[in-house]
Amino acid sequence: MASLGLLDRRLLVVTGKGGVGKTTVCAALALLAARAGKRVLVCEVNATRERVAPLLGAPASGPFVREALPGIFTVNVTPHEAMREYGLMVLKFRTIYEAVFENRLVRYFLRMVPGLAELVMLGKVLHEVRAEDGGRPRWDLVLLDAPATGHAVQLLRVPSALVDTVPAGPLRHDAEWMQALLVDPARTGVALVTLPEEMPVNEVIELDGLVRGELGMAVAALVVNAMPPARFDAREAAELARLAAAPPPLGPAAEAGRIQALRAEAAGRYLVRARAALDLPTTVLPLLPVVEWGPAAVGEIAAALAAAPPAEARP
Amino acid sequence: MTTVRESLGGRRVAVCVGAGGVGKTTAAAALALSRALEGGKVLVCTIDPARRLANALGLATLGNVESRVPEHKLAEAGLRPRGELWAMMLDVKRTWDDLVARHAPDPARRERILRNRLYQQMSAALAGSQEYMAMEKLYELATDRDYDLIVLDTPPTAHALDFLDAPDRILDFLGNETARALLAPALGAGRFGLRLAQLGGGYVAKTLARFTGQQVLSDLGDFLQGFQGMYDGFKERAGEVRAMLARPETGFVLVASPAAAAIEEALAFHERLHAESMPVAGLVVNRLTPDLWPAATPLPGAAELAAPLAAAAASAPDLGARLAATLAEHQAMAAAERRSLAGLLARVGAAHALVPRLEGDVHDLAGLARMADRL
Repeated sequence: MASLGLLDRRLLVVTGKGGVGKTTVCAALALLAARAGKRVLVCEVNATRERVAPLLGAPASGPFVREALPGIFTVNVTPHEAMREYGLMVLKFRTIYEAVFENRLVRYFLRMVPGLAELVMLGKVLHEVRAEDGGRPRWDLVLLDAPATGHAVQLLRVPSALVDTVPAGPLRHDAEWMQALLVDPARTGVALVTLPEEMPVNEVIELDGLVRGELGMAVAALVVNAMPPARFDAREAAELARLAAAPPPLGPAAEAGRIQALRAEAAGRYLVRARAALDLPTTVLPLLPVVEWGPAAVGEIAAALAAAPPAEARP
Repeated sequence: MTTVRESLGGRRVAVCVGAGGVGKTTAAAALALSRALEGGKVLVCTIDPARRLANALGLATLGNVESRVPEHKLAEAGLRPRGELWAMMLDVKRTWDDLVARHAPDPARRERILRNRLYQQMSAALAGSQEYMAMEKLYELATDRDYDLIVLDTPPTAHALDFLDAPDRILDFLGNETARALLAPALGAGRFGLRLAQLGGGYVAKTLARFTGQQVLSDLGDFLQGFQGMYDGFKERAGEVRAMLARPETGFVLVASPAAAAIEEALAFHERLHAESMPVAGLVVNRLTPDLWPAATPLPGAAELAAPLAAAAASAPDLGARLAATLAEHQAMAAAERRSLAGLLARVGAAHALVPRLEGDVHDLAGLARMADRL
């Protein structure tokens, strides 16, 4: 396959286990793309608390697209607003929309048709990917800060599930173009984020299989986040274990060193496992001793991503 | 101060809640193991355990039924429990099917529901379905079996509170009388649209069908029709589940890590449980960076480490400097974690357990036992 830069697709879906730093990686990718002159939209999906815009030092955007930084726009896609926009698109006229959708019973149906909330939210995101203004694409890149593993698969599976189960009709028609966009490797890629730890690595390996197999989507890259530096070699690590029993100040310092060495060693093993199991362009991001996550930290992650863009695991 | 284990002492049901990736499953298994060690028949019901933990518990071969963790596995880990440890892995689809089978008035009705396309999607994929079934299974286990303690590990919800809201939301769906009446295929004709039109919503029906397609609504009508008569049983049961969760013999265990998102979820959950008068038995904070240096004392520099390192015959190049930097980073992290946790610890009055980031992952019974000691 011709090598396609991570940010050269129209849609990049970022996912991984909960707590691995998906949102931070998303924000950093947005920074990089904007620096390369791209117009970027970052979508969060029904986030209880929006995080992308605040990470970039901007106020939360809410359910409407808003510019966070020059060239970077953010939105928190909610079922309610996505449904409204979708309804307006299908029905064309606001008055009809209001007559139909403000009807309690109708809203009940729409909420309860399985997958419809996911469909309209994903539909909103994919609609932005296709949108054109004055004959050119509205966005050079749409980044989807997808939910954690299970929920992400559930979200991305909705179009194909509907194509399989729903007879011909408007719902089916929309599901079809959405599905076509998702599985087109030239337009859409998935970036998997993980930590070099046991559970996240297990989960990302499983997720890779689901994304390629069940969803039929292209995995564009693996991002291994928060890799501790190899600061002590094996011989030193063994020595530190011995020195940790010494009185202060050496004892505590050696204990901190021992713990760091253990973590780094384990992380190295899990990185090897992930690489061996996933033949993917991989970026390893350093563990930042960061206390407050904000624009400065995102900038550092962006710099690390720029310095080591996803490289082929087995060239 | 009482420990989380002690706080669960007199209870029969423990529900572990918290954000994804904070070690809920491990905490649930460790709590169950610790009670089994003290004596008592204990079940841990988990959703999606790490494979090695599943293997350690003998869960690999399990479906939706409980099985006892074999004595020899416990003995291999040097554990001699006075009680019994049982484990199971929740199968959402199977639990739904069992529920339908239990409430269906006759086999024909059961088959009609089980075959309905919407049911098949819903039981696997409807948001909240997993949470609802976890509650359902918990109630079944708590009422039909003789466990002294059941520990439930909850599914990773997109939003923590979904766990409490899901049953009501789904019941609202199943039990909406107006919807059922409207969607019920007209006798003979089988066209839901006619009924809706007769009720005066002609253009609403037409536009709705334009939106979803006629067939989807017909399926939904058929599905709701199938549930008619079963709904009362479901509703009654959901009421009982809720009542069980509010009883003093139940305890929620909040599980968090020092990550900001995990702390927020735990706080949100705590507020909600408090508002609903549901008993919080404890708070477990996993993956804490251990505090190694007194805050009031300045951290040592490379120079201060040089002499003791030399005395210990450890003289790798710049080892002192690397250690000083590592300790400083370590302590900065430890202090930051404690700052972010202060609010949560102050808010939650129940027993606390602060568990340092364990060396190596907890994936076997010995690891669980070590974790249990911290609870």
